[in-house]
Amino acid sequence: MIAALHVVLSLTSVEREMSEIMLSPGKAVKVSIYLSEGSTHHGVSTYSSILDFLFFRGVSGATVLKGVAGFGADHRMHSANFVEISDHLPVKIEFIETREKVDELLGKLEEMAGSGMIEVQETTIAKPARVSKPRKAPVPEHVRIEGKAKLMRIYIGESDRWHDQPLFEALLRAMRANDLAGATVYRGILGYGAHRRVHKEKPLHLSHDCSIMLSVIDTEEKLQAFLPLVDQMVQEGLVVLSSVDIIKYSHRATETSENKE
Amino acid sequence: MREHFQGRMLRIHFTEDDKWHGEPLYKAIIAKCMELGLRGATVFRGVEGFGASARIYHARSLSISKNAPVMVTVIDTEEQIQKLIPHLDQMIEGGLIASSGVEAIRYTRSG
Repeated sequence: MIAALHVVLSLTSVEREMSEIMLSPGKAVKVSIYLSEGSTHHGVSTYSSILDFLFFRGVSGATVLKGVAGFGADHRMHSANFVEISDHLPVKIEFIETREKVDELLGKLEEMAGSGMIEVQETTIAKPARVSKPRKAPVPEHVRIEGKAKLMRIYIGESDRWHDQPLFEALLRAMRANDLAGATVYRGILGYGAHRRVHKEKPLHLSHDCSIMLSVIDTEEKLQAFLPLVDQMVQEGLVVLSSVDIIKYSHRATETSENKE
Repeated sequence: MREHFQGRMLRIHFTEDDKWHGEPLYKAIIAKCMELGLRGATVFRGVEGFGASARIYHARSLSISKNAPVMVTVIDTEEQIQKLIPHLDQMIEGGLIASSGVEAIRYTRSG
């Protein structure tokens, strides 16, 4: 059995930490790292490795600037040429942080920068950047599903209609309007139902007579509350409820797994 | 008509190119379900997957691959499902059957 995990966060702890980073006005340190665009660090371009490093180590902001021409320690001129696309163009990464933070990061940065140069400069922050993104909207009620839940599957025909629209679309909208956690519509390639009429996918013309299955996972109460609406909308079909364990459910990477019995 | 019952759901996983007596296995299973008088069955084609052989199956839209994963779902009463299982044992060479107890509501148009 898989233990139920508590997944109630809309932001991961890393992101939560990130969103609260802000510098305050006053003394700070500006770091500039000069690299060649084509240089790599463990197979990934150095500037993106460094940017990732800064991001995940909680630096308040960083910018990568691309040079159009330059020369470095090897005293060779690198420039953007129309004919050959040079991958030796200069790249500069800049970030501003507190002295302590910079001291903490410098060792690793020196290793990552390889043959590039790192410059550290005293600076003063007149006005720190503010987080411009509005705070996230409060997480809707339905996001907090965890542990035991129910999986509802509805089997209908693709050509079934409800008030002049395809039934599966109407059901999907109804589910959304009722704040069900999420639903997916599947089209079958072959099947039959109560009337023993075979629904079949036809290869060359678009068939509109396939079997359709809607799958939705939510708490037992939510699904029971939704059932009367299903009763009204579905004239012919099959609705199946089974118990599942929610392994993970979150905003960003929605992924529900079902524990097969 | 609304009919509420405790039933069993089988999900049978294999690939689209599996055969039974020369015809696609999924068609053979559907035909067997009809023959046994099961109330319904549906075949779904997967987009991508892998199975016991750890081969990755793709349904590529342009090259006509028959190697896509296929799932047949059958839902019926426990007794009906038990009638089907011995036949599946014979027909399926490589695949997986997952079985779960379900609560089902069947809607049928009267007439």
